[in-house]
Amino acid sequence: MSNTAHSKAAKEFLKNQKYAQWHDQTFWSVRTKRDNMAYGLSEWEQLRETASAIKRHTLTHLDEYLDQFSTNAEKNGCIVHWAKDAAEFNEIVLSILREHHVKKMVKSKSMLTEECEMNPYLEAHGIEVVETDLGERIIQLKGQKPSHIVMPAIHLNHDDVGELFEEKLGTEKGNHDPTYLTYMARLSLRNEFLTADAGMTGGNFGIAETGDIVVCTNEGNADMSTSCPKLHIAAIGLEKVIPNYDCLAVFQRMLCRAGTGQPTTTYTSHFRKARPTASPMHIILVDNGRSEWMGNPEHWESLKCIRCGSCMNTCPVYRRSGGYSYSYFIPGPIGINLGMLRNPKEHSGNVSACTLCLSCQSVCPVKIDLGDQIYKWRQQLTSFGTANPQKKLMSSGMSFVFNHIGIYNSALWASPLANRLPRTLMYCSLNPWGEGHEMMQFPKESFHTLWKKGKVRKAKVKREK
Amino acid sequence: MKIGLFIPCYVDAVFPEVGVATYKLLTHLGLDVTYPEKQTCCGQPMANAGFEDKALPLAEKFEKLFKPFDYVVAPSVSCTAFVRFNYPRLFEGKHDCITAKKAIDIVEFLHDVVKPTSLPGKFPHKVSLHNSCHGVRELGLSSPSEQNIPPFNKIKDLLQLIEGIEVVEPERKDECCGFGGMFSVEETAVSAQMGKEKVERHIATGAEYVTGPDSSCLMHMAGIAKRQQLPIKFIHVVQILSAGL
Amino acid sequence: MATKSDILSKYKRNINKRFPMPEIKVDAITYPDPLAQFVFMSKTVGGKVVELKPTDDLNHVIKRLYPDAKVIASNLPEITIATRNPDTVENAQALNGTDVGIIRGMFGVAENACIWIPQTMKEKAVCFISENLVILLPKSEIVNNMHEAYKRIKFNNLGYGTFISGPSKTADIAQVLVMGAQAARSVTVLLLP
Repeated sequence: MSNTAHSKAAKEFLKNQKYAQWHDQTFWSVRTKRDNMAYGLSEWEQLRETASAIKRHTLTHLDEYLDQFSTNAEKNGCIVHWAKDAAEFNEIVLSILREHHVKKMVKSKSMLTEECEMNPYLEAHGIEVVETDLGERIIQLKGQKPSHIVMPAIHLNHDDVGELFEEKLGTEKGNHDPTYLTYMARLSLRNEFLTADAGMTGGNFGIAETGDIVVCTNEGNADMSTSCPKLHIAAIGLEKVIPNYDCLAVFQRMLCRAGTGQPTTTYTSHFRKARPTASPMHIILVDNGRSEWMGNPEHWESLKCIRCGSCMNTCPVYRRSGGYSYSYFIPGPIGINLGMLRNPKEHSGNVSACTLCLSCQSVCPVKIDLGDQIYKWRQQLTSFGTANPQKKLMSSGMSFVFNHIGIYNSALWASPLANRLPRTLMYCSLNPWGEGHEMMQFPKESFHTLWKKGKVRKAKVKREK
Repeated sequence: MKIGLFIPCYVDAVFPEVGVATYKLLTHLGLDVTYPEKQTCCGQPMANAGFEDKALPLAEKFEKLFKPFDYVVAPSVSCTAFVRFNYPRLFEGKHDCITAKKAIDIVEFLHDVVKPTSLPGKFPHKVSLHNSCHGVRELGLSSPSEQNIPPFNKIKDLLQLIEGIEVVEPERKDECCGFGGMFSVEETAVSAQMGKEKVERHIATGAEYVTGPDSSCLMHMAGIAKRQQLPIKFIHVVQILSAGL
Repeated sequence: MATKSDILSKYKRNINKRFPMPEIKVDAITYPDPLAQFVFMSKTVGGKVVELKPTDDLNHVIKRLYPDAKVIASNLPEITIATRNPDTVENAQALNGTDVGIIRGMFGVAENACIWIPQTMKEKAVCFISENLVILLPKSEIVNNMHEAYKRIKFNNLGYGTFISGPSKTADIAQVLVMGAQAARSVTVLLLP
């Protein structure tokens, strides 16, 4: 069977068994920490149900909430911008930075800026952009992209980071102790915070009723990024806006518990306006496909995502193939779905990277039907022209056989012949099952045959009533 | 109560003994069981691969064959789940779906409908329970490990009726074994890795057998165990429940 | 450039069915002794908790906790040992090199050790740039959970506030937990009588 890019990448990933097992166990341990948090709250399932219902309501009234949010943010003194796509977003950011003569900008983690490929754009226009989340900083120095949305540098071990820091930050040769390396990154980033002309944050939530941008971090880098520079730009996707603090309480309680298994992030910061001595705060609301996706009756609920990453952590395929095996920049179950919304022709290969085990939708704090959606995407591949012709042929063949009882019976009669095929034929490349499995032994007679011959007998003993 | 016995295609072809055991078990319990001979496949393999259109004629056929029964009982969680949850979608805009409401896996049928308080026979072995994904997360045979709900396991409850059995669960008790239908031939490396790790976790319990409610998971793991020469046996839950019949 | 109304009207056009707002009624966790839970959680997230007795001298206690601290920043009137004031420094950068920053928390949250800290100083940098952070918190001001917390928070005209739960931390290098990523490397909560 012609293989998808994901399956090829996964095969490569699994060649380094030691690393592959570390990867799987690391994410499983995050999943376990998350379970402990979920089991620790008797209201956990009630929270999930409530969170899901709030998101459904909010997304289907987002036109109203966005209006309320921007009105309140402007009342607070913020300047609100609207970007219809990535290009507009990047232009808006650049124009704000130019207006303020910004040469260097520090920024906290934002999947939106990854989505819009903002950093390369700004750098091409002469702006220095410094990522300040440690994981993001590591991959920025390494020239890579995140392999996980919450733990972006998870694919690197401490030696990889140690060697990188030796080269880029001039750390001691051979000292790869994570505590030491973290401290050295702190010193280097501290200098960046103090000298940057602007700070950018993403936002986990926008609050319609108050105009707050809420940012959750463990490192405090969003707060550091906005404490010294004279300018704060916050960028959020449209779907991040929620109605009010009562709703926020529900999401705040779940985000970190689900994502990393902590009871909260260290910092949950509310930005309502700029610091007294700074320029007004800018907020950029980015559509970039979201309004379009809202119109997709089967897939709009992917917009409920709060980017906790728990579906990746639980996904048995993600854990055993890594973030880089997927073609979209967000990996795992939510990434498969968002990638299909973004560009189905480009990202169809990801939809087969799923066993339909449904652990993702069982774990998701906002109850997105991630696995069911992957199933539904598979049904649409023919219409995108991306269906696998061999799979289609197999399915047609099966359908034909199963639809004709006579042919089905002959096939059943013939199947034990497979037991006697020579090993070379049985385990050749035409039989992918044979790559990892020994073939099953077909019985001489199928259930059908046994039944017809009267060999399927009732129980000798009847239950005593 | 009229029972239509649904023996999925791969059980029919590869594991007829599972069908035989199911029939024995149901007749032992005094039930009126019929096996519609014209049945073949529910359509799941094609639909999960992305070809619901190829599954539709099979679903129509299934619907016609099994409509007259009160229950459609199958020794397979994933086929049952497919009929229950996907048939209504397949028939949408065409006609009502009757069999979706009647399809029931043998484990839930015994546990929730027939409710036997004893079963004859012994199975003096330690078995490691394989909680198949669609049994856990679609049919609700056990509490999913992801969710904070009171723990339960209907398969375990039933197995406890058999004398001499010791039932254990592997670490990561409901992580997928990596079969996933076409997944196993399309994502061969990940599928085999998942299967190998799963079998190793079952072996680590010290059990002699792996048992579960779905022969497809068992077939996948057995193929891997044999290739890797891992020492454990595989048996469907109904074969244990019918040990004394 | 697209306008607000372009984007909102496009979004609105694509809404198929509107769902109602659910009643937000969560039977959220409460604790028989919220203060004890708050103390426990503070330690769990890597913080220290020191309970002041009515007879203790606040400034002495802080000095004893950080005997080597040379640069202490605070704008609180009861703090007499401060060497810097975040209200009067020229800019936020001038707070760099602070050994201990001392700030006031409004209330704590038992379920996760969060403390609500509205900005009450010109430069909020003091809350993050200090190597060690001391948060003064009246021990009577503990709520059970975030639902209660969000009903209580108030903003002043400075328009910024944050929940802080323990020291800055990261596990971004090989999943090893390290305290002191970009902000305060240690947090001590001083519970006031």
